[in-house]
Amino acid sequence: MRIAKMLVALAATTLMLAACASQKEPAEKAVAQVESSLAAFRADAEKYAAEELKGVDASVTKLKNNLAKKDYTSVVKSAPAVASSVNSLKQVVATKKADVEATMAAAQAEWTDLSTKVPQMVEAIQTRVDTLSKSRRLPKNLDKAGFETVKTDLEAMKTEWTEAGSEFAAGMAANAVRKARAAKATGDRILYKLEMTNS
Amino acid sequence: MSTENPYAQYYVVKQGDTLSKLAEEFYGDKMLYTKIFEANKDVLQDPNKIKPGQRLRIP
Repeated sequence: MRIAKMLVALAATTLMLAACASQKEPAEKAVAQVESSLAAFRADAEKYAAEELKGVDASVTKLKNNLAKKDYTSVVKSAPAVASSVNSLKQVVATKKADVEATMAAAQAEWTDLSTKVPQMVEAIQTRVDTLSKSRRLPKNLDKAGFETVKTDLEAMKTEWTEAGSEFAAGMAANAVRKARAAKATGDRILYKLEMTNS
Repeated sequence: MSTENPYAQYYVVKQGDTLSKLAEEFYGDKMLYTKIFEANKDVLQDPNKIKPGQRLRIP
């Protein structure tokens, strides 16, 4: 009877070990797949979804720790959920990357437009200011104080434009566009004050 | 003589206009008519001869 019990226990242990060993390969494969999937877009994830990546990394680390502890059953059981979170992160990263790229493309297009217009405005205004500076009198609707304001605004516009150029050269397209817009707005005000708008 | 700048001001000459008159209107000083003449040498040969309908750049 005692021998029979021992045999049953031995058989159970053998079966358990066999079952566990049969889970080793799927567990290792699952972890490798998760790591490989994440590695494929890790660089973009760090750039576009750093916070979300931390959460996924924690799940992957837990999975790897269980694998190191040879808890294959746990690994096999939890791997699909981790793989799913990796896929979700991949989607988030792709969406954010597309948004950023679209914003950058729009900023680039606007910069191209403004980098033509603003210097043309500066040139037109500067020419008029230079001419008015030589005038013995000012035209109707522009008094001396108004002309001084125009000159000050023109200098501010040139400064804004120079700063915009520096921002763009430094790769800050969005900041460059913001400053270039400000420069153009200043230019529009000056053109209006000088009645230089062509109707 | 000049490249087209969309922010440059243009004026279409009317009957009775002269460059001096335009200089007085736009600059407050009729003596600055030469500025308008210089800017429009591609269409003007003589500062005393401008024709109605001519489109002049006012620099």
